[in-house]
Amino acid sequence: MSGKRHEAMSCEAARGQFAMLLYSELSFDEEERVESHLDGCAECRAALDRERTIQAAFDSVEIDPAPSLLRECREDLRARLMEQETRPRRARTGWWAQFTDALMLRPAAGWLRPAGALTLLAVGFISARFVPVLSSAGARGGYQSMGFAEPAASRVRYVEPASNGRIQIVLDETRQRVFSGPLDDPQIRALLLAAAKDPSDPGLRVETLDILNTRAQSADVRDALVFALRHDQNAGVRLKAIEGLKPFAREPQVRSALAQVLLSDSNPGLRTQAIDLLTQGANENVDRQIIGTLQELMQRGEQQGYVRERCRRVLESLNASAETY
Amino acid sequence: MALKSGVLIDETALIRAAQNGDDAAFEQLVRVYDQSVLRLAMNLLRSPEDAHDVYQEAFLRVFRNLHTFRFDCSFHTWLYRIVTNLCLDHMRKRKVRKEEPTVLATADGPLDRMDAVQEERVDGDPQRHLFSGQVRKRIKEVLGELTPRERMVFELRHYQGLRLRRIGEILGTTEEAAKNCLFRATQKMRIALGDFI
Repeated sequence: MSGKRHEAMSCEAARGQFAMLLYSELSFDEEERVESHLDGCAECRAALDRERTIQAAFDSVEIDPAPSLLRECREDLRARLMEQETRPRRARTGWWAQFTDALMLRPAAGWLRPAGALTLLAVGFISARFVPVLSSAGARGGYQSMGFAEPAASRVRYVEPASNGRIQIVLDETRQRVFSGPLDDPQIRALLLAAAKDPSDPGLRVETLDILNTRAQSADVRDALVFALRHDQNAGVRLKAIEGLKPFAREPQVRSALAQVLLSDSNPGLRTQAIDLLTQGANENVDRQIIGTLQELMQRGEQQGYVRERCRRVLESLNASAETY
Repeated sequence: MALKSGVLIDETALIRAAQNGDDAAFEQLVRVYDQSVLRLAMNLLRSPEDAHDVYQEAFLRVFRNLHTFRFDCSFHTWLYRIVTNLCLDHMRKRKVRKEEPTVLATADGPLDRMDAVQEERVDGDPQRHLFSGQVRKRIKEVLGELTPRERMVFELRHYQGLRLRRIGEILGTTEEAAKNCLFRATQKMRIALGDFI
């Protein structure tokens, strides 16, 4: 049928649209014309399959930066931003802006400097009263291997002059506490499980799961890995979770999460691993739920070549239809 | 990055706080986007050193110019304008000075410098092994032969998953021009991979 002109579109014109079709960048009408051509042209359907293979091949050269590079970038940026902070900022106008500049030791109008200095004195006085209390509270914790650092950073968050001449200041302080202990220590474990869900830092989550993966036999750790596999927004974190769950691929909770990945995850690498894990040793101990999942994939017209082929082979080997029972 | 509406509200608050000099808010803002910025730079430039430079310069520019951001477009678009301009500059300079290739000759045969810096999980990705080293090598070569603009549009559409309309906004052009650019890029790659796939 190649070369034959269909009523709506020639093979050449249809093939010229394949890339945009796969990127979902055709208008409704354009897509309709290509689809109607494909309905009647087996060669173009084969050509579209080839285009899909080419697009999948592009994915194989994608680079994911190493976590160490990301960490290095963040540290260097932080250092460079601190350098910037020490340089004069753009001029800020208004008495309040200049007053807060004076508080933060930025250049300010001469008359405001004494006011800023006075306020800082007050901050020092209050800090001197409270910091020892906080330190002794920390010492009472009695955690042997815990270091309790001085405030790593502090800044005035809010300043309010009161009518009696006193000034109320709210001070933000960032403290760092250093914990060290064996992985099986309950406190260390609890902190790691919390870090595994820290929404602000995917790099931290990857590193945390890397450590937790060695204890995936514990139910609490396995729950955390399953949670990450099901819900983490970052594909790197999900990949790390699936790595830890591999030895437990026969457990119902894990299989259910793997089936969800197979049916709906956007990352091809994860879906490939999910189908491999779900179908390993399928002949010996197959469960009908997985057959149903595979059939659902086939019925949806699975587009990832490896997954489709693997589905087909497993269903065949189990004498299961590609249709739903 | 597709942000849910709730997150967008938080992002606006973050930007406003960062504009008012809140360093913690700025750092949070960086962390929302810095992985995708680094991935974009790394894939386009295929050099960890250059990707590191683009990352630093992009966020320093954001820091210096954040007070000029007026919410006329999304922060993502504004940030990506900065990043794509920096990457295009790097790619154009590289075209001129014919920078050393990423594939090095070693005693054990050719070695792609990028293989050494990729995240471990990529090497463990079965999808990666579905295609032979020869195919992957050819794809890398063809990507290097695209013009900087074709390369950029292809990267943003295929790897970053951005719609052509958004890509047009980022690159200061129309959706139609971005589409033509993507069309040329995919056609070149299809022809170049003809004997391999």
